[in-house]
Amino acid sequence: MAQLLINGKTFMVDADPATPLLWVIRERLQLTGTKFGCGIAQCGACTVHLDGAAVRSCQTTLAQAAGKKITTIEGLHPKGEHPLQRAWIAEQVPQCGYCQSGQIMQAAALLAKSPNPTDEEIVAAMSGNICRCATYLRIKRAIKRAARGV
Amino acid sequence: MKSTRTELSRRDFLKTTAVAGAGLTLSFTIPGAGAREASAAAAFEPNATLTITPDGIITVHITKAEMGQGVGTALAQIVAEELEADWKDVRIDYPMNDPKYGLMLTGGSWSVNWTFDSLSRAGAGARMLLTEAAAKQMNVAVADCVAEDGRIRHLPTGRSMPYGEIVAKVPITRTLSEEDLKKIELKKPSQYRIIGKWIPRLDIPEKVTGKAKFGIDTFLPGMVYAKVAYPPTREGGKHTAVDDTGARKVKGWIQTVVTDDVVAVVADTYDNAVRARDALRVSWDPGPNAGVSTASIFEMYAKKAKEDLTAPSWVEQGDVKAGLAQAAKTHEATFTTDYVAHMQMEPMNCVVRLDGGAYDIYTGSQFQTMAVGALSKKLGVDPSKIRIHQHYLGGGFGRRLEPDIMLETALIAREVKRPVKLIRSREEDLRRDYYRSATLQVLRGGLSADGKVIAWENTLVAAYPGERYGGLDDKGRDQFALNGSDHVYEIPNQFVRAVRAETGMSVGYVRAVAPNYTFFAVETFIDELAHLAKADPVQFRLAMLGGAPRLARVLKLAADRAGWDSPLPPNVGRGVACVTAQERKSPTWTASVVETQVDPASGAVKVRKIVCAVDCGIVVNPDGARSQIEGSLLFGLSNALKERGTVKNGALEQSNFHDYQVLRMSDVPEVEVHVVPSTEYPTGLGEPGTTTILPALSNAIFAATGARVRSAPLTAERVLTAIQQKA
Repeated sequence: MAQLLINGKTFMVDADPATPLLWVIRERLQLTGTKFGCGIAQCGACTVHLDGAAVRSCQTTLAQAAGKKITTIEGLHPKGEHPLQRAWIAEQVPQCGYCQSGQIMQAAALLAKSPNPTDEEIVAAMSGNICRCATYLRIKRAIKRAARGV
Repeated sequence: MKSTRTELSRRDFLKTTAVAGAGLTLSFTIPGAGAREASAAAAFEPNATLTITPDGIITVHITKAEMGQGVGTALAQIVAEELEADWKDVRIDYPMNDPKYGLMLTGGSWSVNWTFDSLSRAGAGARMLLTEAAAKQMNVAVADCVAEDGRIRHLPTGRSMPYGEIVAKVPITRTLSEEDLKKIELKKPSQYRIIGKWIPRLDIPEKVTGKAKFGIDTFLPGMVYAKVAYPPTREGGKHTAVDDTGARKVKGWIQTVVTDDVVAVVADTYDNAVRARDALRVSWDPGPNAGVSTASIFEMYAKKAKEDLTAPSWVEQGDVKAGLAQAAKTHEATFTTDYVAHMQMEPMNCVVRLDGGAYDIYTGSQFQTMAVGALSKKLGVDPSKIRIHQHYLGGGFGRRLEPDIMLETALIAREVKRPVKLIRSREEDLRRDYYRSATLQVLRGGLSADGKVIAWENTLVAAYPGERYGGLDDKGRDQFALNGSDHVYEIPNQFVRAVRAETGMSVGYVRAVAPNYTFFAVETFIDELAHLAKADPVQFRLAMLGGAPRLARVLKLAADRAGWDSPLPPNVGRGVACVTAQERKSPTWTASVVETQVDPASGAVKVRKIVCAVDCGIVVNPDGARSQIEGSLLFGLSNALKERGTVKNGALEQSNFHDYQVLRMSDVPEVEVHVVPSTEYPTGLGEPGTTTILPALSNAIFAATGARVRSAPLTAERVLTAIQQKA
C-alpha cells in the first residue's frame, strides 16, 4: 500500500511499487487530465510536477512518487485560472487538446523557475513535449503572454 | 454492480426525455447534394439538427468529429448566422450515431464545404418557424416581424419575444419540407454578423484544465482491461498456438480470450493486463508477407512502373507520345516517398459494454457510419444495436476513420461479458497503423523550343486504401490515392497512369492523403522544367495558370510576401509550390514559399521561414482557420523533414517517437499566413497547407545547393548524397 499526495489530497494505492505513476493517476484514481502518449518519456503528454519539478509520470514509479508532493493539471490552479491556462485560452492554443495538459505542466515548471524566459529557454524547456497538431507557435506565444502577466 | 448500471441508464433516460420533452427539436432532412455540394467529391447527405430549450439555449448537434479543427464552433456559427441567434446562447454537443444524421464522416477537409449550405438552411428554417410562431402569439403579421439577436421583434410596435419564450409558449407543429428549405433566400456575405467573426472556440476552455473527455478517459462500472497479442507482420499473420499458463499466474488476471480474430488477456488493471499479456506464449504463422521489406517494395514498384502498361489512365489529354516526340528538350525524373504514420497523440483505445444485446462503444470516431456497418456485420447484430458514444479525438488525421479498435474491443467484450477497456501502447499503435502508402512516380516532360511545357507524363505507383471503403471506381482506380496528379497547369498533352501495387503493409488516409506525394512530384518536376527552360519558377508556373486565376493570385501573393526576388546569404534558398488540394473539384487554392538553410557538409536542413497564402472562399472562423493552416503547414514540415517509415519482415521497423521522429518546437520556423478575403463558397483548411511543404522545401534545397532530392522525407543523409552526386 503506497500513500500518494496528489493536489493536496492523500490517496492510498494498492499496486506494485514499480507501476508507472501515470497508470495509477489516470486509470486507478481517474485523474484523467494527465495523458498517456508514448510510455517512454519521449512525448511529454504525461507531465506532472513532483515537488515542483516537471517529470514524466510514465517513467516515474509509484515507489519514487510516494511521499512527494504531486501536482497534476487538475491541481495546477483551484479554478483552472493559472496565468498559463488563461494565456492558453487567450492565444487559442489547443487543437485536439490531448497533449496540452502536459504542455501546460511543463511550461508551469519553466515559469516557476524562470519567470521571464527567453525564446531559447522556452524552446529548450518545451522541446520534449510533442504536439502532433503542431500548435508550437501558439504555445510559445502563450508562455510569453503568461510571463508578461497579460 | 447491476443496480449501478440501472441507475446510469435511468439518468441517461431522464436526461434524454428532459431535452426532448421540454424543448423544441427542430430537425430537418436536408436535401442531397445541391449544385454547390455536388462540386465536392461525392454526394453525401448531411442532416442538421438543433434544439432550442425554453431557457433560450440553442444546442447545435455536431455530427462531425472534433479532433482539433474547431469544427463544432465553425458549424455552430453557420447555423447561428441564419438563425439570427445571440451567440452567447449557442452550445454544441456531439450526439451518438443515428441514421437521422445521415453519413457520419469527418475527413477530407470536407466538413464546412459539405455542410455550409445545409446548415445555413437549417438555421434559416428554424428562424422562419420561430418568426411565424411569435407573430401568431403576438397576433401580428409575419411580414412585420424580424429575427435579431435571439428574438423576434415586431417592427411597428417594437414588441419582441426571445426564442426561449417562443418555444415555451407556442406549440410549433409546422414542419418544413426539403422544397421549403431550398426556397429560402440565404444571407449575403456582406450581411454576416457571426460568420467571419473572431469567436473563441467552444472546446478550448476544457482543454486547458484537463476536463475535456477523450475516449481514453472513459470509465464504466465493473470495467476490466484487455491487452492484445498482435502478430509479427502487419497483414496476414495468424496465431497457431496460445499457452496462457504464465498469464494466469499474474496478479489480477481474469480471462484469456482466444478467437479466430484475436488473442487477448483481460485483467483488473491496465498494468496487470500488460504483465499478463507479456506472459502469454503465442506461436505465430507470420503469413505470406514475412519477407516484405522497404527494398522489396520499391523493387516491385519500379518493376510495375516499367512493365504494368495496361494500368488505367487517370488523366488523358492530347497525345503525350507526340508531345514528347516534338519536344526540343525532354526531362525524366523518379520520385519516391516512404511510409508515413499518423502518430496521433492519443493512442488508439476503446471501451465496449455489451448490454442486453446492444454494444455501447465509447471512443472518438471519424467515421461512425462505416464503423456501425463493420461492427454490425462482424458481430452479427442489427445496426441499431451499435451505439457509438462520441468523445473528443486526441488527434485524428485519418487514423480514427478506421473501425479496427472498436471491432477488436467488441470481440473481446463479447467473450468477457463485462465492460472492457482496451488501450494500445504507442508501439502497438504505430505497428498496427494504416500508413500513407510508400509511392514511386516516374515523370517525363517535354519543352518546346520557346520553353513551354508541351508534354507531361506521370506513372504513379501506390497502394490503394479505397478498397476497404468500397472506393475503387469501375476501372479499379482510387481517387484518394491519385488526387493531385490531375494538376491545373495548362499543358496540351498529358497522361497520368495509375498503377496499383499492394504490398502487405496496410495503407490508409493520413492527413491530406495523396496530394502529399502527388504534389511533391508535380511541383518539384515543374520546378525542374522551369530551370531547364531557364525561367523563373514563379513566372513559369503563372504562365500555365490562365485557367486557375485564384491559384495564380495566391501564388503571386505568397511570392510577394516572401520577398521572392530578394537576395539570400550563401547556402540559403527559397522554393515555392502551389496546389489545388484536396481535390481538383473542391480546391483550396494554396501556395507556400519555404526558405531554408542547408549545411553543405552534413546535408542538414534548417527551415527558416514559411510564407503561405490561401484562398478557401468564405472563412467561417478566421482564427480557427489560421490555426488549421499553421498546423497543417507544420504537419507538412514534419512529414517532409523527419518522418520515415521503413519495413522489415512485413512490419514497420519503427516503434515509438524515438525512432519515428516528428516535429518538435526546436524545429519550428517562422510562419506567415495570408488568407485571401473572399465571398466564394467555402472549401476546407485541415489539409491543403500540408501538401505544399514537401515540394516547396525540396525546391528550396535545390535553390540553396543546386542538388535535387527526389526521395521523401528529405533527410540530411539524402540531401548530402544529392550534393555529392551533383559535385
